[in-house]
Amino acid sequence: MTPEARSPAGSLRTGVVQAVLSEIALLLENLAATGQAGAIDLRSLPLTEADRAELEDHLGRGEVEARLAVAGASEVWETAYAGVWWIRHREAEGEIASETIAVTRVPEILMAHPADITAAAVRLQEILTPRRESAIGEETGNG
Amino acid sequence: MAEGQTLGELLTRHGISRRALLKYATYVASMMALPPAASTAMAEALAKARRQSVIWLSFQECTGCTESLTRSFNPTLENLIFNLISLDYHHTLQAASGTAAEAARLTAMKENAGKYLLVVDGSVSLAEDGAYSTIAGVTNLQMLKETAEGALAVISVGTCAAFGGIPHAKPNPTGAVPVSEVITDKPIINISGCPPIAEAMAGTLAYLIAFGKPPELDHLNRPKAFFGESIHDRCYRRPFYERGMFAKSFDDEGARQGWCLYELGCKGPVTYNACATLKWNGGVSFPIQSGHACLGCSEPNFWDKGGFYRPLSTAMGTSGAWIGGAALAGAAVGAASAAMLRARKKSSTGEK
Amino acid sequence: MDLLDFARGPALQGALVLFAFGVLWRLASLLLLPRVKDLSKPRSGAPPALFAALREIVRRSWPQRPFPGATLFWTINSYIFHLGLAVVVFAFAPHILFIRSLLGLSWPSLPSNLINAVGVVTVASLLIALARRLTHPVLRLLSTADDYFAWIVTVLPVITGLAATSHLGARYETLLAVHILSVALLLAWLPYGKLMHPFFVFITRGFTGVYLSRRGAEL
Repeated sequence: MTPEARSPAGSLRTGVVQAVLSEIALLLENLAATGQAGAIDLRSLPLTEADRAELEDHLGRGEVEARLAVAGASEVWETAYAGVWWIRHREAEGEIASETIAVTRVPEILMAHPADITAAAVRLQEILTPRRESAIGEETGNG
Repeated sequence: MAEGQTLGELLTRHGISRRALLKYATYVASMMALPPAASTAMAEALAKARRQSVIWLSFQECTGCTESLTRSFNPTLENLIFNLISLDYHHTLQAASGTAAEAARLTAMKENAGKYLLVVDGSVSLAEDGAYSTIAGVTNLQMLKETAEGALAVISVGTCAAFGGIPHAKPNPTGAVPVSEVITDKPIINISGCPPIAEAMAGTLAYLIAFGKPPELDHLNRPKAFFGESIHDRCYRRPFYERGMFAKSFDDEGARQGWCLYELGCKGPVTYNACATLKWNGGVSFPIQSGHACLGCSEPNFWDKGGFYRPLSTAMGTSGAWIGGAALAGAAVGAASAAMLRARKKSSTGEK
Repeated sequence: MDLLDFARGPALQGALVLFAFGVLWRLASLLLLPRVKDLSKPRSGAPPALFAALREIVRRSWPQRPFPGATLFWTINSYIFHLGLAVVVFAFAPHILFIRSLLGLSWPSLPSNLINAVGVVTVASLLIALARRLTHPVLRLLSTADDYFAWIVTVLPVITGLAATSHLGARYETLLAVHILSVALLLAWLPYGKLMHPFFVFITRGFTGVYLSRRGAEL
């Protein structure tokens, strides 16, 4: 069984895609007008496999695709509609852990977190600083 | 582990980025039907929290709840919960044993007084002064009471701790009672199920750690995020129920076609759990999908509902003897009244 | 013990005991009455007794002339709720399971959606019957507490059953418990009032048929 085939009634199209697209359109209009981001948790909807495929078809792919390697693989892509992003989080064995349609300028998961940036800055400094210190040490005969 | 470190600092030291924490929070928020925006709040809250001390007491249990929690399909994402807590005492998972283990428990209780979470699986045995279940010579009742005193909250994991479970089933020889009957002065969260779904346990713990309060609970103190809907309401075989297409026996044509299992005793309509949506082992399947009716294992007294294979619409424990006896008695009374009438008629005609 | 356990357990048990006692009592007290032998000669051409009995049961299933005119609507309405009750009780899969658990008998069921529709029609028909009883001056005069109680005790299982299958109004286990309790009430009361008529009607019609078939002159 493929990781995606969770529902035994998978091939049935229920028509819920139309409702989802309407909600995305609303959120996108709101984003354009007020800059306020929104999101739809796909897990909260009764989507069959056929529904999911239909939604992916309708939304299509845009100009940006990102592959993440964080606690398992994740895929983030911009759909054919700027501002509408599909975020698919997988865990280590490939099963889909969560799936969200984010209506935003850029999904938060793609942005580097301030705490990670601080930690990375410290790490980079640590790599640079010892070389300088040992060079000084050699010059002064210490080391 | 350095004292006073936040989880964010701790995870960074272990090479787990905030991005990973955000992915984890997104996963938990989605599972608990929180709005997508809550994942950011949860990630931030988790990063600021301290590593939560957890003491896990196991009483009359089968260890199934621990197996469910650790049988993670999801080692990187799901097991993150074990990075967020400091599991200071757990019979199955801890390295220490004997007096060293008990000492670890008492130390954790003292160092984290008022702040540790007490997780309990298994029911508490009361009969014969608790002699049926002791740990290190201490009865369940005693250990539970003394450990709960300094706890922040109690989480009863599994139907045994939540409602009594298997030991509590008739005739309950060990006098088993749920945790809630012993501890009445601390907030209690029941995560029932036999065993509970791994995500239900981990998700509730994560929520508690992040937000410092339990998620919304139902009238049996179970998190509504996992126990708010019945199996029946989310069952993919529901259309067959509505149309009256039922499997009559295991492996008959209806069963092979995936028809409703009502006639085979399914308790789905009266059972509240997330089996039909979250499923088990990472969304692989759940009992009904595998062809067996729901046992109702997350409800109180599910062992004493008349039988797993008796449909919900049948009577429980009807005694044919009583009904037969009543019929005979009725016939006798009817015969007696007819006989009385005959006698009166005979005597009246005789008098004429 | 929660409400559903009580309903499926002691409540049904008690109801079935009262039902068995009552039905056997009333049937025995009727059938064991001294039979007055008809010593007169039957008219020539009188049919055999069994045939006469069955014929009368069939004949009285529809109003004889000139009554259909005045009673047609009410005859049809009564058939609607009687047949509706029969269909709902005996053709709905969970009910067949209930009977099977008691008697070991079972038979194929009808689609549940169809049963639901029949149930709604049955409730409507019963409401019309009650309305008539309440508005018709003669009926109102004649109606006793038994009549009204019988109506309540009959309509409750149908309404609560519809609520249970539609999951309307409360948690399902409560709806199911209330439905089973209403059935227990119906079963417990049935033999002690006019609801005993399903058991009596064919017997009395048959006896009347036998008696009347012997009377009359030869033409």
